[in-house]
Amino acid sequence: MKKIKRIFIYLFLSTAAIVSIFPFLWMIVSMTNKSVDVTRGKLTPGMHFIENLNNLLETTQIGIALWNSFLIAVITTVLTLLIGSLAGYGFEIYRSKGKDMIFNILILSMMIPFAAIMIPLYRLFGRISADAPFIGLDTLAAAFLPTIITAFFIFFFRQNTKMFAKELVEAGRIDGLSELGIFFRIYLPTMKTTYAAAAIIAFMNSWNNYLWPLVVLQSPENQTIPLLISNLGAGYTPDYGVIMTAIVIATLPTALVFFLMQRHFVAGMMGSVKG
Amino acid sequence: MRKNFWLLMIALLTAIVLAACSGGDDGSGNAEEEDNGDDGSQITAWAWDPNFNIAALNLAKEHYDNENFEMEIIENAQDDIVQRLNTGLSSGTMKGMPNIVLIEDQRAQSFLQSYPDAFYAIGDYFNPEDFADYKLAPTSFDGEQYGLPFDTGVTGFFYRTDYLEEAGYTHDDLVNITWSEYVEIAKDVKEQTGQAMLSLDPNDLGILRVMMQTTGTWYTSEDGTIQLEGNEPLQMALENYKELMENDLVKLSSDWSQYLAAFNSGDVASVPAGNWIGPSVEAEESQAGLWRVAPTPRLDMEGAANASNQGGSSFYVLNIDGKEAAAEFLGETFGSNVEFYQDLVQEVGAIGTFKPASEGDAYQFENEFFNGQQVVYDFSQWMEEIPQVDYGMNTYGIEDILSAEIQQYLDGKSLEDVLSDAQTQAENQFK
Repeated sequence: MKKIKRIFIYLFLSTAAIVSIFPFLWMIVSMTNKSVDVTRGKLTPGMHFIENLNNLLETTQIGIALWNSFLIAVITTVLTLLIGSLAGYGFEIYRSKGKDMIFNILILSMMIPFAAIMIPLYRLFGRISADAPFIGLDTLAAAFLPTIITAFFIFFFRQNTKMFAKELVEAGRIDGLSELGIFFRIYLPTMKTTYAAAAIIAFMNSWNNYLWPLVVLQSPENQTIPLLISNLGAGYTPDYGVIMTAIVIATLPTALVFFLMQRHFVAGMMGSVKG
Repeated sequence: MRKNFWLLMIALLTAIVLAACSGGDDGSGNAEEEDNGDDGSQITAWAWDPNFNIAALNLAKEHYDNENFEMEIIENAQDDIVQRLNTGLSSGTMKGMPNIVLIEDQRAQSFLQSYPDAFYAIGDYFNPEDFADYKLAPTSFDGEQYGLPFDTGVTGFFYRTDYLEEAGYTHDDLVNITWSEYVEIAKDVKEQTGQAMLSLDPNDLGILRVMMQTTGTWYTSEDGTIQLEGNEPLQMALENYKELMENDLVKLSSDWSQYLAAFNSGDVASVPAGNWIGPSVEAEESQAGLWRVAPTPRLDMEGAANASNQGGSSFYVLNIDGKEAAAEFLGETFGSNVEFYQDLVQEVGAIGTFKPASEGDAYQFENEFFNGQQVVYDFSQWMEEIPQVDYGMNTYGIEDILSAEIQQYLDGKSLEDVLSDAQTQAENQFK
């Protein structure tokens, strides 16, 4: 009886595993096939990977796009973490009368869809362009500035800070650390797992961000990876082999970041649930 | 507790008001042009598809005899262009907007009518009468010509000669037929060869538009009134559609790649679509000599033509610095150069809508893949017969409503109810 149960469990788990792994497998196999074979649904690896890669390198500026995406993602991640954690820490540690109300308003701001604020935001950057072209439209700065302060990360850090032992703050004060010193020397090192989890989320969000970069980044030298892939698929006769190659290349960095921080990620997420 | 609740409500209200304000700004801002973008020395153009539209622009640049003219062509997916234009124009910030932009004909009116000041009328730079009539309504607004008509979406009935022969049909049997005859032929093909007649994506109602335009009607009338209820051509088109679906004559596809695969792998006997599908058909080299193209079937009504349109786009000039240079460039190349159009057909495979071009040599080319048929010439002839239609502002919006209703029609809801329900919904949405 126990054995049968086991078989069913494994059967179920295997099915689930196949369903979630298959798209990746298909993506990698398709990378090595010609476009016609991809549309036919060929499932065996082919010999056209080098050809697809060459086409990709010749027809697109994927190197520049990768660099842009990378730059934006890294800066976004660092700034988001810094601002989000400072704010989350502040909300949890310090006493203030109106802080819960402000926090509630912040949480509510998560409910406004980005599409609703996009046009005013675009207009704002249009105005800024006249005086400060280096952060105006069509600059990488414009692509990440609106994304670095998010209610989600403030919320995330505040929830996790609930687990942080407040006695450590008092101990730090008694030993004469400044408030910022307490944050950077005590809080930051003890909350590593939270930072790792937040870093993965922030990096992935930025890496995959499409709509805002699409409207603010107009020139090809500022193109990011999702925009490049969108262009590849836009022809009347798209080359699916090349598209798959580009998608694999675009997936690698996020996969890498995830695997590097996976252990911390799980711990960090558990923390946020417990809190 | 109570106090908190009220604070929350106030915050929620503020959030809603903020969001609403930002939405309401859409129309008002487009008159501002404080930022005129580039300094005018260099022209930028936005288009999609490097092998087609962008190749055409590059070719035009080669044919343009002007040393001071510099143009940067930026590749953007079509949906991305729509998104960028909408954001830019509705925020009234012209910075970063291109001088020349390619817009699909069925979308053009929504831009021209929403942002009339943002576009530059270019009717003086070429003679609109040189172009296929059906292209003029979508590209003009308020008596002014804004678009320079580019490629034609003239449709053809691409078919597999081997399958059709097996079912007992010759080319002559397929010329100038009606859609109901097409359905009957499809049944024979299914019976004799076991193959489906065509592939369709249920979310894409392009085929209905193709059928409807053969009679010169659309979802909306010329003054913009929505006319789904009692629209006889649409009813007829839907009946044909249902007949095809119910008799299992359609191979369903869920996206573009499956649609292409259906005919590349020989699973369907025909592809009724715009001429731009040609290169995708030819992509499967092993099927060379097995395809031909007949005129598009028409709806069984008086005055219907065996010609229709699917897709096709035109160039527009934005009302910013550099507009004269951009308009001159378009006028001298796409607007009047017959030789350029010959190269366009040969090198890019794009068929323009410039009527004088069809007498050139390149148009007489006999395509081996299609059994030596003069495909380009045939298309250019059918193009001149396409009934003119005003696509209006909401083609795609109405279609979203229709596609939901059509599922119910296939499930047995009566045609009258389907169309009157869709009519009510569309009227509410696009008031």
